Amino acid sequence: MIDRPNAQELLAAMAATLTNDVMPALDGGPRHSARVVANLCGILAREWEARGEVPVAELRALLGHEAGTEGPDYADLVAELDRRLSSSGPETDELAIAALPIVMADVEQRLAVDKPGYSQP
Amino acid sequence: MTITSSPDEICTSLTELLDASGVPVDRVEITGAASVGATRSTLFIDIHAGATITAAVAQLAAPRDRQELLGPVDEAAVLRLARAAGAPVPPVLAAIEAAPATGAATAIVGFIGGESIPRRIIRATEEFGTGNDLAADLGTALAHLHSIPIDDLPESIGRVDPADIHSAYSDERAVALDELGEPLPAVRLGVHWLRKNLPTPPSRTAIVHGDLRNGNILVEDGRLTSLLDWEICHAGDPMEDLAWLCMRTWRFGNDDLEVGGFGSLMSLRSAYESAGGEWRDDAFHWWLVARAVWWATGLSRQAGAFLSGEADSIVLAASGRRVVELEYDLLRLIS
Repeated sequence: MIDRPNAQELLAAMAATLTNDVMPALDGGPRHSARVVANLCGILAREWEARGEVPVAELRALLGHEAGTEGPDYADLVAELDRRLSSSGPETDELAIAALPIVMADVEQRLAVDKPGYSQP
Repeated sequence: MTITSSPDEICTSLTELLDASGVPVDRVEITGAASVGATRSTLFIDIHAGATITAAVAQLAAPRDRQELLGPVDEAAVLRLARAAGAPVPPVLAAIEAAPATGAATAIVGFIGGESIPRRIIRATEEFGTGNDLAADLGTALAHLHSIPIDDLPESIGRVDPADIHSAYSDERAVALDELGEPLPAVRLGVHWLRKNLPTPPSRTAIVHGDLRNGNILVEDGRLTSLLDWEICHAGDPMEDLAWLCMRTWRFGNDDLEVGGFGSLMSLRSAYESAGGEWRDDAFHWWLVARAVWWATGLSRQAGAFLSGEADSIVLAASGRRVVELEYDLLRLIS
């Protein structure tokens, strides 16, 4: 009732095949492409497992929306934050200061998927 | 317009161009290609003259291909100035806006040997124990490049007001983000920081290479032999080159060595200053942020080209997942 290998196991096998079997037989651009695809397999495997909650509640609070289940979704909140940070003036300065830790936490979470080990203590 | 000439036509064109430039030549043979594109090609050639064979590099570009990039003829003019100022670049053998037979803007420069692949360069410096020497080579080379009087540059390279460089650059980054169509709040925070923290202006503008980093240098026995890829060189703040060279993204995992993953910042800086360069710490830090903003936007634009179907390269798709590295770097720099 449970397919094995599962998605992560398959992605790991795909990455290993590209790295161990395919890449040594290639040079130049094709070899680089194989390396990139192997790396993307790793990203997908981590995304499958590790991608945490997106900071919807934090962004709603930051942007002054009421808490609750109704309201703009994550993509809309990110777009609104982007738009409001692109203006200037004291309100934007305050928003930038308040946004920094929320944006940093989100970046660190995405980094754990896209490039584990990159964030520094 | 694209380059549609056959290899034979190109060889004929290069032979005529060299002959007209006073370089002894019987025939030219194409021996390889560094890159071949629809609008730009860089070819390795052998120049045969009697019993003598001279290796060289030819760059061909369709006329006025992309206005924002420097054409081969202007690039050749910059190379001549850089070489005269003492920077390690190849000698220019010939350059012309419309070459015979092909009509392509063409420059031919002497061949310089060396390794360009970043990880191999790092390994070579470890093997030869020359990492700090290579960083110093780059500091000296940049000081020489930056010493060129701005009035000597080709007119097609726009002049800028030293007092205006940083605010203008911040505005350009904001416009580039607007045009991206993809929300990047972390990068917006970077632009906001840039505007709030303008550095001291340089005492004078200089010719800025614009893309000098591990990946655009040639290295032999662990030492610098040439600076490559001058397509985005421009007049500006010399500290831009020093910051770009030291960004984490060009250290290839060797994060402790600020210069390209092979050398120390101290080695770069002291060589730069010894050769007459003016180092400004606030501008160095500012440009680290500014070029992280620029490169995050550039990587996102690459991913956008994939998502829109304009290009189908998996490498461009993967660029979208590298944006977060630059977001992280720049947030660390402004926190």
